[in-house]
Amino acid sequence: MIQDFAFYTWAQFAPAFVLVGIAAALLMVDTFAPRFPKQGLAVISALSAIVTGLFILPCDGGISLTGLAALACIATGAAVLLGVDYHKVTCESVCGAGSQEGTGEFYALPLMAAAGIFCLTQARDIITLFVSLEVLTLSSYVLAGYFRRNRGSVEAGVKYLVLGALSTGLLVFGAAWYFGMTGSFSLSPATLADGFLIPGRITGILLAYVFLFAGAFFKVGAAPMHGWIPDVYQGAPTPVSIFLGVASKAAGFCVLILLFRPLYSVLSVPEVGSLYTGRVFCFLTIIMAATLLIGNLGAIPQSNVKRLLGYSSIGQAGFILLLFLGIQTFEVAESGVEFVPLQHNVFYYLMAYGLATVPAFYAVALVRMSRGSEELSAFRGLAKTNPRLAFLITVCFASLAGVPLTAGFIAKFRSFVALLQGGSCSTLCWLLPIAVICAAAGFYYYFKIIREMYWEKPLESDKPVTVPGISMAVLILCVLALLWFGSKPLFCASPAGLWFGF
Amino acid sequence: MTPLAHYLILSGLLFSIGLAGVLVRRNILVVFMCLEMMLSAANISLVAFSRAQGTEGVPVYDAQVLALFIIAVAAAEVAIGLALIVAMFRSCRSVDSASLNTLKD
Repeated sequence: MIQDFAFYTWAQFAPAFVLVGIAAALLMVDTFAPRFPKQGLAVISALSAIVTGLFILPCDGGISLTGLAALACIATGAAVLLGVDYHKVTCESVCGAGSQEGTGEFYALPLMAAAGIFCLTQARDIITLFVSLEVLTLSSYVLAGYFRRNRGSVEAGVKYLVLGALSTGLLVFGAAWYFGMTGSFSLSPATLADGFLIPGRITGILLAYVFLFAGAFFKVGAAPMHGWIPDVYQGAPTPVSIFLGVASKAAGFCVLILLFRPLYSVLSVPEVGSLYTGRVFCFLTIIMAATLLIGNLGAIPQSNVKRLLGYSSIGQAGFILLLFLGIQTFEVAESGVEFVPLQHNVFYYLMAYGLATVPAFYAVALVRMSRGSEELSAFRGLAKTNPRLAFLITVCFASLAGVPLTAGFIAKFRSFVALLQGGSCSTLCWLLPIAVICAAAGFYYYFKIIREMYWEKPLESDKPVTVPGISMAVLILCVLALLWFGSKPLFCASPAGLWFGF
Repeated sequence: MTPLAHYLILSGLLFSIGLAGVLVRRNILVVFMCLEMMLSAANISLVAFSRAQGTEGVPVYDAQVLALFIIAVAAAEVAIGLALIVAMFRSCRSVDSASLNTLKD
């Protein structure tokens, strides 16, 4: 699929206009009808995000980057929907119990961030990419620090802001050098190829790419830029953690694909490639290995479930990065490298990750509301007090770990296929054992929660966790989808169905 | 006319000073100023490149457009940043980064 790199059309951005329009309307209602129940705003906001997401979801399952935007919109909707049940905590943490003043923006801002993500997926040049990324990022800073009476949330907001602004600085410095070396901001392979042809420019382009990648790695939470993830996931309000974990990560991978596409297209030209492809992939494999190790080994000693999910999100980002290795096996068409299989794989992995992570954070929020704690020990004996809820949580964490018959297994399977096909012998020697160790470590730390629910006895004073209807519906839907995508390959007759069993 | 390299060296120096400040300073307000300095460094590069890429004295305006966007984004970031720092001062009674210590391993 070759995009037209010259023009944007208004119609292309229609979903973003719809999202911003609804967000603005919600803000108006919030300002001029202060008595309107804020939970109503949350429901409207969540429904509009989910409907927009379903509307732009391509029928072929994420061939273009728009699929990632659809995923991000639906995840945003799910995050805001948790806000409906979480409203009591929001009120307590913003303006004190009993008053709903100042909580309206909490439900309008995610829509604006989702509009930013949508524009990002349509970007064909660095200016659009930068502006839409900032629309997303600036909303995220506010959301992360929204609970101003909660010291953890404020701290998460400040930390996210400082590190996020640092990554913005790196990104724009890279953008300046990209422009200086190629004479254009266009992300088309042809522009970059022109720059590569001028003698002495290649070093400058690679310098620009180091800075641009640093900005993208920050968003996805890859190794040298991962520091914010555990702190912000733990401190931020739980609905915001869902948003950052799924929607913001999808946006990060969108940036990474947009930047990587022209670079790889140029590198795949034999004369240039022989010199630089090896070096670029060496750099990438080191990042992948570091991300996998830090995420998966860092999660092992955690006792706070939100922090554990933060480290797990770094680890899962490592597995998604492995998919980029598979690109070396794709055919080089006349018009450039086909990125469709990579986009498809990234979409599938993020979908499987999102379907498991959203209910996992829902569970944390439900336990927090009933038992007042987000520690692992708060899940004790959930199988005795809430057997159905415990079962649903078990499926989610099993999918995150990659147990067969869940979508998480197929997703990890694809990562390993990409690694085995794309990695050279010398890379496989050290990267494959690391990936295997990290997948095994996942089983240990995800099953800690399952162990807590089934093996530990509840205290005498523990009452059953109350599960509101909306949360229960989301949990059941996600678990059904996980099992459906995980068992679908069983019904495909050919082995090919197992590979692309979508 | 000043050669392009001079602008780039100035921009690189500003960027490095900003980065060093972010890593070394403990006061969040100073850290924030250093972050703004990094964005300004990128702006200098952009405008210098925009001149250098142009022909017959007409710069390529794309880069200057991005510079304008960066200034706008930096202003929005400062608005959010100062609000968060005020909230932080209310809850911690300090703007020192050492007081951000409730979230850690």
